[in-house]
Formats: sequence, C-alpha cells, structure tokens
Amino acid sequence: MKPRNIILLLILAVILITIGVLVATTIDVSAILPIQASESAIYIDQLFRTMLGIAVVIFLIVEGGLIYAVFRFRRKRGETGDGAPIHGNTLLEVIWTLIPAIIVIVISIYSYQILTEIERPGVKPLVIEVIGKQFAWEFRYPDEEVTTTSLHLPIDREINLQITSEDVIHSFWVPEFRIKRDATPGQISELILRPTEAGTYRILCAELCGPGHAAMVTEVVIESKEEFDDWIEKQSNLAELPSSSPEGRRALFITQACGSCHTLDDANAVGIVGPSLNEIGAIAETRVPGLDAQNYITQSILQPNAYIVEGYTSNLMPNNYGERLTAEELQALVEYLLEQK
Amino acid sequence: MSTESVELKQENNWKRYFTWNTDHKVIGVQYLVTAFAFFLIGGALAMLIRTELLQPGIDFMDGTIYNRVITNHGSIMIFLWIIPVLAGFANYMLPLMIGARDMAFPNLNALSFWLIPVGGLFVLLSFFIGAAETGWTAYVPLSIQAPDGQTIWAIGVILLGFSSIFGAINFVTTTFTMRTEGMGFLELPLFVWSMLATSLLILVATPVLTAGLILIAMDRVFGTIFFTVQAGGDPILWQNVFWFYSHPAVYIMILPGMGIISEVLPVFSRKPIFGYIAIALSSMAISVLGLTVWAHHMFTSGMSPALRVPFMITSMIIAVPTGIKIFSWLGTIWGGKLRFTPSMLFSLGFISMFLIGGITGVFQASVPFDLYVHDTYFIVGHLHFVLFGGSVFSVFSGFYYWFPKVTGREMNERLGKIQFALMFIGANLTYLPMFASGMLGMPRRVVDYAPELASLNLLTTIGAYILGTSVIVFFHNAATSWLRGPKATSNPWRALTLEWMTTSPPPIHNFEELPVVTSGPYEYGETPGASDTRQTLEVTGD
Repeated sequence: MKPRNIILLLILAVILITIGVLVATTIDVSAILPIQASESAIYIDQLFRTMLGIAVVIFLIVEGGLIYAVFRFRRKRGETGDGAPIHGNTLLEVIWTLIPAIIVIVISIYSYQILTEIERPGVKPLVIEVIGKQFAWEFRYPDEEVTTTSLHLPIDREINLQITSEDVIHSFWVPEFRIKRDATPGQISELILRPTEAGTYRILCAELCGPGHAAMVTEVVIESKEEFDDWIEKQSNLAELPSSSPEGRRALFITQACGSCHTLDDANAVGIVGPSLNEIGAIAETRVPGLDAQNYITQSILQPNAYIVEGYTSNLMPNNYGERLTAEELQALVEYLLEQK
Repeated sequence: MSTESVELKQENNWKRYFTWNTDHKVIGVQYLVTAFAFFLIGGALAMLIRTELLQPGIDFMDGTIYNRVITNHGSIMIFLWIIPVLAGFANYMLPLMIGARDMAFPNLNALSFWLIPVGGLFVLLSFFIGAAETGWTAYVPLSIQAPDGQTIWAIGVILLGFSSIFGAINFVTTTFTMRTEGMGFLELPLFVWSMLATSLLILVATPVLTAGLILIAMDRVFGTIFFTVQAGGDPILWQNVFWFYSHPAVYIMILPGMGIISEVLPVFSRKPIFGYIAIALSSMAISVLGLTVWAHHMFTSGMSPALRVPFMITSMIIAVPTGIKIFSWLGTIWGGKLRFTPSMLFSLGFISMFLIGGITGVFQASVPFDLYVHDTYFIVGHLHFVLFGGSVFSVFSGFYYWFPKVTGREMNERLGKIQFALMFIGANLTYLPMFASGMLGMPRRVVDYAPELASLNLLTTIGAYILGTSVIVFFHNAATSWLRGPKATSNPWRALTLEWMTTSPPPIHNFEELPVVTSGPYEYGETPGASDTRQTLEVTGD
C-alpha cells in the first residue's frame, strides 16, 4: 500500500472513531428516549449510547464504502470488459472476521455487567404483588393489605415487584424505567427497580393479550416517602368506610377496580378500556330506549354485553359482578354512578 | 408440423400450471405465482394496519378485528410469501445451476407445492370463521382461549410446515446426488450453498414447530393439558418450542436471499465473488449457530436468569458470519465494472438495509437493552429491516435477474428502477421511525397508541403507502413484460452459472446435452473478455 493511502486511511479512522465517541458520550439523543425515572434507566441508556456509538461507526464504514463504490466503480458507457480477477484476500478476511468478533465479545461483557447492576437485589425492598388480567393491572401491598389499580412507589427505595397473571401472558412495562417483565400465569417473575424521578408515568402491557391489549394502560406514581405513606394509609382506610356515605360509595368504586378500565374524575380513575363514566348519571337514561338510568346501570354491571357503547368492544368487561358484589354493594355502586352528573 | 413442435406446443400450454406437473420448472413457476398472490393479500392487510394506525385512537377496526389482521399479515408474509417464494426460485434454478435434468423426487416436489395453496386456504379460511387472533406467535394460553379459527389456522401452518420439510429433503438430495460432471462442492454456485444451509435448518427446526402446533390443536380440540397452567402445564414450554423453529425461520428466510445476492453481485460487477469459501461456510455457520439462539426471544419471560447470558453470547456471535458476508459483498463490487440494472439495485439496497437490521439485532441480543425494547415497535422495525430490506429486496433482485430465463422475455428496466426508488424510500420511511416509536413507548401489536407518537406513526404510514405504490408498479411491469416484453437471449447478463448455458426458457429436460463443468461459477476477468466467449448458446428460436 502506498504511504499516501495509509495516511488517508489513518485520518479516516481517526474521524470515524471521533464520531463514534461523540455519539456515545456527548451528542444529545434524548429525542428518542423517554425520561429516566429509575436507576435501571440510567444504566441501560449508558449501554445504549455505547452500542449506538459503535453502530454508527460500522454503519458509516459499510454505507460509506457502498456509496463510494457505486460512484467510483460505475461502468463507463460502452465498456464491456471485466474487473480484476480477485478471488479474495486472506488478511482482509481475517481482519473482518476478528474485529466484529472482538466487538460483540466486548458488548457481551459490558451487557453482562449492566445486567448484574440492574438486577442486584436490594436491601429490605418494598415488595408489591403485580397481577395482570385481561385487561387491567392490579397491585397488592401485602404488608398494608391494600389492593389498588394504580401503582404508587416511594422515590429512592428498593422495590421488588412480584409479577404474575390471572389468565393469559401480559408484560409489565414502564418505558421510563426501560425494563419490562412478563406476567405469566402459574409463575411469579421478579422485577427489581429503584425509582429516581418523581412523577406520573404510564404502565403498558407489552405482550399481546387479546382485544383490549392496547388499552391495558394504567399509571405509576412516584412520590416522596411522606406522600406515599399518606396515600397508602388512605387506601387502607377506604375499605372500612360504610357504603351509606358518599366517600364509602366512591371507595367501593375504587376497591372493585372499576377505574382500571373506566375514566371517572371523581375517583381519579383514568382507565380507557371501557367508556368514560363522567356524567353517567345524566347520560344513562338516553342509552337504551325503555330502560331508565338506574336499570341501565344495573344491567351494564351485571350483563355488560347486553348493550355496548359505540366505539367499544364486547366481551372485555368481566360478566361475573353478580357473584362478586353483594346486593348491598351493587345498590351502593349504582347509587354512586347515578350521582355522577 | 413435426412431432417436435407439437410437443413444444403442449409444453408451453398455460394449463399445465394448474395440474399435478412434476417438471421442476413448472413447479417453480407455480410456487412463484402463488407466493406473489399471497404477497398481495399480506400487503393489503399491511395497508389496513397502517391506515388504522395513521392517527391515534380507534378508527375503523376494534381490538378483535385488528388482532386478526395482524395475525394473518404475519402468518401470510412468513409462511405463504417469503418461505415459498424463495423455495420457488430454488425449485426452478437449483437443478439448472447444478446441471441436473430435474429434482431428485419430482412427485414429492409437486406435493410440496400443492400443500401451499391448501395450507394457504386454511389460513385464509380461519379469517372468516372467528380467526386466529393471537399474533403469528400463537402464545399460550391466549391461543388456547381464542375462537375456532385458531385451530384451522394451526392446521394450515402444519400443512405449510410439511411442504417446507418435503422441499428441504428434495433440495438436499438433489444437491448431493445430481450434480453434473465436474461440479464438486467447491464449484457449487453460492445460491445452491445457501439452499443447502437453509434445507438442513428446515429439516432440524420445522418438525419442532409442527409438533408444537399439534400439541396446541390437541389442547384446543381434545382437551389435553400440555399448556394448561391449572393442570400443571407450562406456557413457557410453548415459547421454547415455538422459538426453536421460529428464530431459525428468520435464517430460513434470509439465507436463500443472501445466496441470490451472491449470484447477482459478481455478474453485474464483472468480478469474481470475493471470498467464495468464506461466504459458503458462513452460510453453514449461520445455519448451525441459528439453532442455538432461540431463547433470546424470552429474556423478559422470567426464564432462568443465568441462562440468558449464554443465549446472549450465541446471538451476538451470529453477527460475525453475517459481517463476513457483508464485507465480502463489498469486496466483490470493489474495483468492478458496476452495471445498475434493477436486479443490481435491489442487491445493493439489500446490503444497505440488511445492515441496519443486523446492527439493531446486536442491540437486541444485549439482555439489558432487550428488557427495554422487547415487544415494542423497535423489534417491529428490526424484523422488517431484515425481512423486507433483506429477504424481500433479495426476492426482487432475483426476480429481475432470472425473469428472462423463466419467461424468455426481458423486463422493463425503467419501470424496474422506478419500483426500486419507490420501494427503497418507502421501506426506509416506514421502518426507520419504528425504532424511535418503540423506544418512546409504543408496544407492538397495539390498535391504539399515545398521542405523542402521532407524527412518527404518520411518517410510517406515508412510507407504507409509498411501498404499496411500488408494488403496483412491479406487478404492472411483471405482467406486461411477461405478455409483451422483448424476447430474451439465453444469457442476457453474460453470466457464468449453468442456468444461463441453456435456452430461455429452458427445454423440458433443461439441457440438450448435460454441461461439463471445467471452471468455477464466478471466473470473471480471468483472461480479458473470457466471460464474453463463454456464453456458448445463443437462443435458436423458440
């Protein structure tokens, strides 16, 4: 090889490596990343940026070489001859076998280190049971005996989620935590995390679980220890409120997990699987001719498929509320919904 | 009229394409035409999906219909388009390329083909009777819970599996026993090598999927409990069985494509393939390694944590033989005399897009990053870069390359270039934004998504419509060229492999006299003008 070409190659190598290092360290890639709300997110983003830096260099080498060849070695008009009869070059072939091999081994080792970091078991973690079911998430805080439909987590504390499913496979995913874990019936999968950024984020289902898959969304709230303690105390009191009081009726709506699928501002519910229940007390009587508001709501709870609001899907709502609710609870729930005007 | 011309006339009768015919060339055309028909159906479903996802909110499909559409889009594109279309090329070309008069088992070959329309009919029928709606992955318990169409779908896919297995037996036997005089394994064209690697993979992996689907069908129909949790069955078992086939299936869908690229690049670069042995062996390496990576689809399943690391390492290592191929292809065009026919453009497009699929594959092999992007649009983008940018581009490259041989007619190059431009822009516009939408929080297989993702999805949908347009251009070009294109010579590209050493289309027994091989398939430029003199047979009328 001519000295001039060696120098050119070296300059090219320096430029490419500089670009790679810049991508891995300085260039802002936040446009394609959600915010970092947990320690795992920080680690995984580091890994991502490193891989992206390497990828950009390889991408530029191959695409650059391809584009260069397309312009440089284009056949001239009228030319019919062949190119040089080169069948290979052992040195080159060894180089382009070894270098990628080294790169993937380095990425593997680095990935293993990151994996160990993000899955390191915490000291005295807060254990929460996560249950996926078609098409809602349920969270149980075993120590406080609280069951909810949105997940609240204290900031900067080790969390251990024990994830399982009641029916088919779901997958618990919060993009701001990066990590996800499948909810598989018959087994408990563990997810370790440490929230670092207060805020409200979406919990999504990442494994196709049926017609309501896309709507299987709820929220995770990360808050200070004091706010979290207040919240959990309020939740544990809910169950004891008498259903004769307005607060008790609202508590019933919350503990029966209606808010997993329905939006209702009065109960801070944000579910989107089924129709919104804001102002249902006023709308109910207009839905089915011949049914007054009270009878319509009762029917919708006991036989959800009898009438489906336009734009929503049948067979999504469980049809066993007749067994799950006592007559008194059913009456209180209907009364509560009638009050939503 | 001599008896010979009567025979010729019968031979060219279009009706033979609708019969049980044992000529590998007829079967090849049957495969290709059937697969392209399913490509249209699968593509129409893709247009429906992208139209629903044009904007956030549920527009015209509810969750149930949407799940049926995506399930059938995936199943059709994989089992009824890419796998059979590549098998179609192999059926037509493999015997010609090794100088054989037919496949080893002509009747088995006909059976492999006829299982495809039957299996395809089952898959399509399922669509009308409460279809399969669990994604092509058919994860249990969802697929046990799904309506009756799921069983019909499983039967269809089982039949298609048998078609693949029979085809693979035929390709392996033909390659081992029917090579013409002088053709050793090191004179095999690389497409034949890639079919050998693919067929061995099919023989090991496909029976496992078939067995698994039979278990699902039994759970559904006879009430067995292989996958029923309450009775001690195991949903993870299905994932192991499914991916033991379905990851190798990716290599089944890409290796023959890589073989096509390795044929096309030397011809239009007028240069020998760079590193013949490295490319041939890397196909075999991908085939063997491909059997050891399946659990990388299960990193989030709660599988044994320690087991994830070895699967990560094997998955990463697959990048090495793949890299060898990409660099060898670059070495092939380097210093050549490149001619940009549509076939060549699709091969170059293959390299540039498959590269992105390969690199993002390494990203996903990394366990921590996979915990992030698994089951999101990132993986949808990755798999389409591999299967569309890779496999489908190679199919079009092969189609433009071999069309004159199969039909005896030339395709329109200008329309071919327009199709390439539209398809290249359309594919990148469709699939690149998917990486970002996945990372920003869009799970795969959702009928609705968060409003912040609207502009990325709009871009993807626009790209998909451009892709759809390019396919219309293609079908127009293929149909008009087949009917009215200018007559093609026996070797219009001045290629050196044996399929070009006979008339276009070849006579019923392929060669008037079986060729004897005295030099390798890619010896361009050995002596100046050598490849010009080697085109021995000019077409002598048809």
